[in-house]
Amino acid sequence: MIDVIDLKKKFGSTEVLKGINVTIEKGDIVVVIGPSGSGKSTFLRCLNCMEDPTGGSIIFNGVDIADMSVDINIHRRHMGMVFQHFNLFNNKTVIENIMLAPVHVRCQEMKAARRKRIFGSGKSSSGEARLPTRAQIRAGAREEALALLRRIGLEDKADVYPSTLSGGQKQRVAIVRSLAMNPDVILFDEPTSALDPEMVGEVLDLMKSLAKEGMTMVIVTHEMGFAREVANRVLFMDGGTILESAPPEEFFTSPKHARTREFLSKVL
Amino acid sequence: MGNFGNKWNKFVEIFLLQNGYVKVLEGLQNTLLIAVCGLIAGILIGTVIATVRVIPKYKRLPRILNAVCSFYVGLFRGTPMVVQLLVFYYVLLPLLGVKMTGVQVSIMVFGLNSGAYISEIMRSGIQSVDPGQLEAGRAVGLSFSTSMLEIVIPQAVKNILPTLGNEFIALIKETSVVSFVGAADLYVAFSFIGSNSYEFMVPYLVMAAIYIVLVLFISLLVAVMERSLKKSDRRN
Repeated sequence: MIDVIDLKKKFGSTEVLKGINVTIEKGDIVVVIGPSGSGKSTFLRCLNCMEDPTGGSIIFNGVDIADMSVDINIHRRHMGMVFQHFNLFNNKTVIENIMLAPVHVRCQEMKAARRKRIFGSGKSSSGEARLPTRAQIRAGAREEALALLRRIGLEDKADVYPSTLSGGQKQRVAIVRSLAMNPDVILFDEPTSALDPEMVGEVLDLMKSLAKEGMTMVIVTHEMGFAREVANRVLFMDGGTILESAPPEEFFTSPKHARTREFLSKVL
Repeated sequence: MGNFGNKWNKFVEIFLLQNGYVKVLEGLQNTLLIAVCGLIAGILIGTVIATVRVIPKYKRLPRILNAVCSFYVGLFRGTPMVVQLLVFYYVLLPLLGVKMTGVQVSIMVFGLNSGAYISEIMRSGIQSVDPGQLEAGRAVGLSFSTSMLEIVIPQAVKNILPTLGNEFIALIKETSVVSFVGAADLYVAFSFIGSNSYEFMVPYLVMAAIYIVLVLFISLLVAVMERSLKKSDRRN
């Protein structure tokens, strides 16, 4: 689903990614680990062009999204992203956080369809279905958002602002916010690093349940136990390259690269 | 001060009996019209400029726009309001062959001038919002402009509301120079009363009182708005 070919990223004169080659298939759960400064977060952020790659290509569903001329917004709608610091919209209630993107995108589509009808081929539109109104779109998105909140047991928090939630609740809302767009893949950038230890479990549990449903995920994390349990591939990055890529059992029991062994001996 | 009562009576006579109050109401209307319209135009212009100035600048167009905006801000912050009014009214408009009343010119100049100041206020507001907010908006597939409008600017406005209130107060008070281009504001109304009675003490005292009341009213308004916008900070 995602083909990363010779991906490079420079910040000024420092080269952070020195040619990454990875293929992520549908249903893959790829965990990226590595020491800090190894470029793993930059790699993840390049996958949806939050950082524009300075070289190479990222083929997502057949389109090279590293090409600056593609409309990245359309492709990002199929790639969820979950941040270390949650980044819930502070000026919106929990349910508005989840509804914002779906409502916006559907309203845009509705307007485009209406324009097409008015300025389009000039055929009579008698046989076509009626376009939904803005209110109908909102109502539909609200139902979906409530269903997502029910899933994480936060239905009663629908109309409060994010500042009233705990860290774990915020991150779970952030995860279902990215689910609201029905993405093909979700990118997780250290989703549990900013959480109190007691709240890590609830977030990991939600991620596990997504994994069981077959969601494709790319996860940058320091949770080795989680990586071992859930991943079907572990990438070890250091110095801007992928040193090792293996299934978790093999990776954790018989790492091939000396640098990997050294890292694992420190963190395990 | 012995004849203060006398002066007061003269003022009241002109104010009530010789239609002085009509002039004052007209002046008040123009003062508010210029300040409010100027503020609204200023917020719109300032928001656009501030947004342009925070766009990442590795493409050519944002760089050019940024340079234009810097020039504009420099120009309007670098000259006094009176000079801007005079230049627009007596130089630019005749050159362009456009006819505008003093009030219209004032509204335009006040909008352009406060736009320059508000752009800097708004920029600091935008920069006070966590960059993660914009990132999260972009990550769900919203465009830069939608993310700014829906997420960043509402939070920025909340942060800068007290400063915007200040700007509005400054605008109200600066309207007292619009008589330079023939707009009849509060100052014009009260000096009319003063010169008709050859007595300026009471009219100017009353004028000062009206300005103070206006400013107090605005402060109150800002406080109320602040409280209602704070609701997303509050813990239940």
